[in-house]
Amino acid sequence: MHGSLAPIAWIVVGYAVIVALAAGLGLALRAPRPRWLDQMAWILEVLCVVLGLGALGSLLQGHRPESMSTHVGYLAALVCIMPVALGSMREERESWSSGVVVVAALATAVVAVRLMMTR
Amino acid sequence: MTTTSSTLRPKRGPHLVLMALYALFILASGSRAAVQISTKFHVAPLAYTLSAVAAVTYIVGWFAIRRAAHGKPRLAEVMLWVELAGVVVIGTLSLVKKDWFPDASVWSDYGGGYGWVPAALPIAALLWLHRTHEKTPPNQGGAA
Repeated sequence: MHGSLAPIAWIVVGYAVIVALAAGLGLALRAPRPRWLDQMAWILEVLCVVLGLGALGSLLQGHRPESMSTHVGYLAALVCIMPVALGSMREERESWSSGVVVVAALATAVVAVRLMMTR
Repeated sequence: MTTTSSTLRPKRGPHLVLMALYALFILASGSRAAVQISTKFHVAPLAYTLSAVAAVTYIVGWFAIRRAAHGKPRLAEVMLWVELAGVVVIGTLSLVKKDWFPDASVWSDYGGGYGWVPAALPIAALLWLHRTHEKTPPNQGGAA
């Protein structure tokens, strides 16, 4: 991944942590998953897509990470985790479904960090 | 919603989070094992094979928890203990027989490479299973 994408990656990490905290709060309060949490999660997905497109563009411009397969794997995981998590919880709005958002957001943050480490 | 689908519907609860974590570890350990086995299997064949075994364990664990949430806990009762034993045995071997593990497997150092979540996961799932089936009479809990 090109160095100029690092700030976007850190924004993804920071925002993912905020989403995880918000979802964790909902879980702690045993509240049904609010619509705004889904919207926050989708904004995270948009950020991930921006980062993913940037990283993909960097690869297409000839940048070669140390392990291409690992880097591409993290890239794919980055953009897939949240839609899969939200898709699996589409009809489920009980408080524990916020826990799934916590897991997905934290996983997204970890994958974004790993993406930077494998660039 | 039909009677059949409501009967098949699993109970709500923490198993949703457990299943999400298992799905995540299927992805993490499965892709890790696939990349390592396909690109550098000769470096640490035992460690990479054990990572693949961990991935298979997580797949079966995911289905086991899903079945347990539908009132069929037998597979989960076996698989979660198998998974915990795997983490403990491989974690211990990775510490006392370092030459067997030139590279880390998913369960090396009791899953330290993944924040020790692999060690905590089967324990959390066993606690959930224990609490769920303490509360649930044998004939209750969904599809037979």
